[in-house]
Amino acid sequence: MRPQMGRTTRVKKLQPRAPQPILRQDQIESDEYDSLQGQYKVETGVEKSEESEIHLQAALAGTGSDKETEEIPAPPAQESSDFDYDALYSSVYEKPATYIRFSQTVEECTGCQYDMTTEDDTFLKAYNQKKSPNSHLSEDDFERIMESYEDTAQIQAPFASVDQTQIPFDTMRNSLSKQLDSKYQMYAKDIYDHWKARRQDTANRPLQPSLKFETQPDHDDGDPYVCFRRREIRQTRKTRARDVQSTDKLRKLRKELDIGRELIRMTSQREEYKRDLLATEKHIFEQRQKVKEAKNRLNIKGDDDDLINQVPRKRKAMDFNNQARGQQPAPHLRIPSHRSDGRPLDADLETLAEVMARKENIINKELEEKVMKHRQWNDKHIDVTREPLPPVHGIGNGSAFRSATAQYQLLTPPSSVASDSSDHPSPSKMDIDPPAFRFSSPLDEEETQAQPAYRRRFGRLGRLWIDRRGMTAVNKEPHEIESDRWKYDQDDDEEQPVYEMDPYSTTALRFRSTIPLLSPARRVQQAESQRPGISSSPAAARTVSVSQPAPT
Amino acid sequence: MTTGALNDSGTGSPAPKQKGRATVDTLSIGCIAMVEKDGRPRRAEILSIKETKSGRQFYCNFDNFNKRLDEWVPTARIDFDQDVEWPSVEKPKDGKKNAPPTSKKSTVAKKNVTKRAVPTTREASAAVSDGGTPHPWTDFVDSQKPTPGPDGEEKLTLALDLDATPGAEDDDPMDVDEVAAKAVAAKTDTQEEFSREEEIEKLRVGGSMTQNQAEISRIRNISKVQYGKYDLYPWYFSPYPEAFTEEDVMYICEFCLRYYGDIKSFTRHRHKCTLQHPPGNEIYRDDYVSFFEIDGRRQREWCRNLCLLSKMFLDHKTLYYDVDPFLFYVMTSRDEKGCHLVGYFSKEKESADGYNVACILTLPQFQRKGYGRLLIQFSYELSKIEGKLGSPEKPLSDLGLLSYRQYWTENLVEILLEYNEKDERCSIESLAQQLAMTTADVEHTLQALKMQVYHKGEHKLVLPTKLIERHKASKEKQKTNPKRLIDPTLIQWKPPVFTASTRTWGW
Repeated sequence: MRPQMGRTTRVKKLQPRAPQPILRQDQIESDEYDSLQGQYKVETGVEKSEESEIHLQAALAGTGSDKETEEIPAPPAQESSDFDYDALYSSVYEKPATYIRFSQTVEECTGCQYDMTTEDDTFLKAYNQKKSPNSHLSEDDFERIMESYEDTAQIQAPFASVDQTQIPFDTMRNSLSKQLDSKYQMYAKDIYDHWKARRQDTANRPLQPSLKFETQPDHDDGDPYVCFRRREIRQTRKTRARDVQSTDKLRKLRKELDIGRELIRMTSQREEYKRDLLATEKHIFEQRQKVKEAKNRLNIKGDDDDLINQVPRKRKAMDFNNQARGQQPAPHLRIPSHRSDGRPLDADLETLAEVMARKENIINKELEEKVMKHRQWNDKHIDVTREPLPPVHGIGNGSAFRSATAQYQLLTPPSSVASDSSDHPSPSKMDIDPPAFRFSSPLDEEETQAQPAYRRRFGRLGRLWIDRRGMTAVNKEPHEIESDRWKYDQDDDEEQPVYEMDPYSTTALRFRSTIPLLSPARRVQQAESQRPGISSSPAAARTVSVSQPAPT
Repeated sequence: MTTGALNDSGTGSPAPKQKGRATVDTLSIGCIAMVEKDGRPRRAEILSIKETKSGRQFYCNFDNFNKRLDEWVPTARIDFDQDVEWPSVEKPKDGKKNAPPTSKKSTVAKKNVTKRAVPTTREASAAVSDGGTPHPWTDFVDSQKPTPGPDGEEKLTLALDLDATPGAEDDDPMDVDEVAAKAVAAKTDTQEEFSREEEIEKLRVGGSMTQNQAEISRIRNISKVQYGKYDLYPWYFSPYPEAFTEEDVMYICEFCLRYYGDIKSFTRHRHKCTLQHPPGNEIYRDDYVSFFEIDGRRQREWCRNLCLLSKMFLDHKTLYYDVDPFLFYVMTSRDEKGCHLVGYFSKEKESADGYNVACILTLPQFQRKGYGRLLIQFSYELSKIEGKLGSPEKPLSDLGLLSYRQYWTENLVEILLEYNEKDERCSIESLAQQLAMTTADVEHTLQALKMQVYHKGEHKLVLPTKLIERHKASKEKQKTNPKRLIDPTLIQWKPPVFTASTRTWGW
């Protein structure tokens, strides 16, 4: 780029990141603009030798001029004249509503891979003329047989065009019977003859023209007809790839040699340790000898522990530790290890039966513990559901409903009707309001009408429950406390409205069940007291909680 | 000889080419003659000769014309009153590569070979006699070779061509087949060979889809293709099975892209083929076009067929390696017959160079209808979703360059006008981010449009009046005739993720 206007300022390098002002040509002096041209040699990306082609040059010149872009002449395509397009492309295409997903290959979409030629056609027509009409060979079947022959030939003699192998008819017939129906057998021989004749005409090459693939990479490199070479083959020929291979092999060899050397080094060290060990053992023995003599001389009585090695207990751990680390000098640890190899191990051995027995003991113990725990937890809980869990033991008496006879008109709910066997008849039970817990097991209601019935049972944590059913809950006087509460719940002391309602309708029951009967604080207290309490709960839909006010 | 070499460096050639009058019989492959094209004589290189019932025909490549305009011309169009430049074939010189005068020449030779592989330089010709090393035009030889068919006699063999070439008599008579076999594999010019190896290596590791054209046959091998409703006239060589070069017309099924030389086979195939859309997942659909994503590894045959088809219209495409490392984004238009392939672009699963397009093509019957723009836009929309800046792989073809230039220009001008109205500044990087273009592409486009100027000590972008006017005009036009655009909200696509094993390009 040359500096303009004769000035010798250097042109700054064009930075792709640098924002440039954008002007129209009329925003700059025209002769100035002209003088600025020709600063760049434009890369076209076209092969250099073709850039000069006159049609391209004309077209490129046209791009910059007002003229219509000149077109580059090219041999045109034209609609085929003597060609019945609709007959050959007969199937109609239905555009699917969604985008097409398709993965079948061409081979899968074209049926039989052999397409008969004009020559085949002539043969087949003549052949069929000789046959009776009902044994005519159709074009499709003819192609199938030919395809089978071609395939077999390709498999049996892939180099037929070179070595001129002829596949005998027997081979062909065998593979034909494997590939196709037996009905084709009657044509096999005739078609084979035709196939063979055609093969011979084409120098025993496959009958369908095929692309030329590489045969000898060195030889056909320059053959323009050889195409679609495999890239893999090239790779193996490449020296760089081979270099990598050799390097890898060398590296592996080196590694293996290193390992061997290390092994030998370690073995030699082990032998040295052994020697040291022996020396130390001998030394210890001599020292002990002296100790013994000294003991005898000084007449010291005592055990002879210091005359033998006495580390059998810790032996194993130490042994492993030291061997693994290989840090500690051998002499000290070797002694126990020697001994350990022999006797103590023998003694320690357990029989399989012993181990099994011990394991079983542990398991049994555990089971017993679990059972105890469960019993404790379930203490006083009586499972009266229709199908109680199996390990219910020691209960069942008095758990059924009993009908109440005389006492059902009591002011207070007849809680202790069934309590002749009760352990904890509590006088304060009436103060206890039913908890929010609702008992809703699906009871059969057949015989529960009319006759009121009750049962008492213990729940978890020793809570006492009274279930009732068959209550003819008519004009029952509410309990004092409850009635009080409701009395003062009125907005005015005018006469209270009377509501007609069915106390046993499920909607009413459901509604009532939502009415809080206790202040939350009190209920928490109750829960925390852990005292086995008696509470009545609506055992079934027809069970009426005592605490609920009857309609006045 | 190519123009490039002739116009500049070629004139400095120490060995001027032999010129002289030729006759129909002496005119040989490699000669440069004046041939009538579009009503005026043009320099043309003879690439092949064949005998037809109506007489001898010459396959000519015209100076400064794209190869797609190469054609077979009858003798009548060749001007025999003018001198013909012979392919210079000279005595071998020992140690020519070390000789000082040739050191400069070698670049010329290389250039020649890279472009058109014309044996007009001393090196090239010397190479011929240099211990039986192959000709630089062996590409051509190769393509001529597959003629041992029923009409094999119609075409002259290379041996005959050589005999007819003045000066060729000095050469050892060489086995044509052997030359062809060795072909490009052993180029005399070591530099050339090296660059070729580099190229193959690049193909291998980079998964490039383009290749130097010197490696591929220069002569169109398929004359006519029946595809869908259309007859296509291929532009370039494509490595379909060699048997098809003898067919007058090749039939291609428009859905599975299989190819047939025999009409009966093709009819039979059409009876059996059930495909009605590209065999992949639809990732975009509006009322005009659909896009399908196809994995080259999964749909190997279909993608190969697609590559073969597109190679007929893409000069710089290579089919040297397989399609595994690519994804193909195929644009189709719908009608009652199915989703018809309109165009596609391929994209590397992992591009080391940040390319978002490897090859891009609109089939000829759909060209000049704005489809290319949709393809380009779609490729950038995918880049936006990926959060990357993308660029098409180079080299671009002439048509590719024009399409991309147009797309880039439109979008850049649109954005820059907004900035201009708001009187705001804008950096190249922010332009690149907005369009998912690489900064290099933005820079080059701005420079090509003469928008990047250095003025009063500062880089500025200037919108030329012409571009503004054209932009306004196209805006006006869009009111009546709205341009088709890709609606990014209709794209249902997540950038595919490939595990190491699915990324291995081998089988």
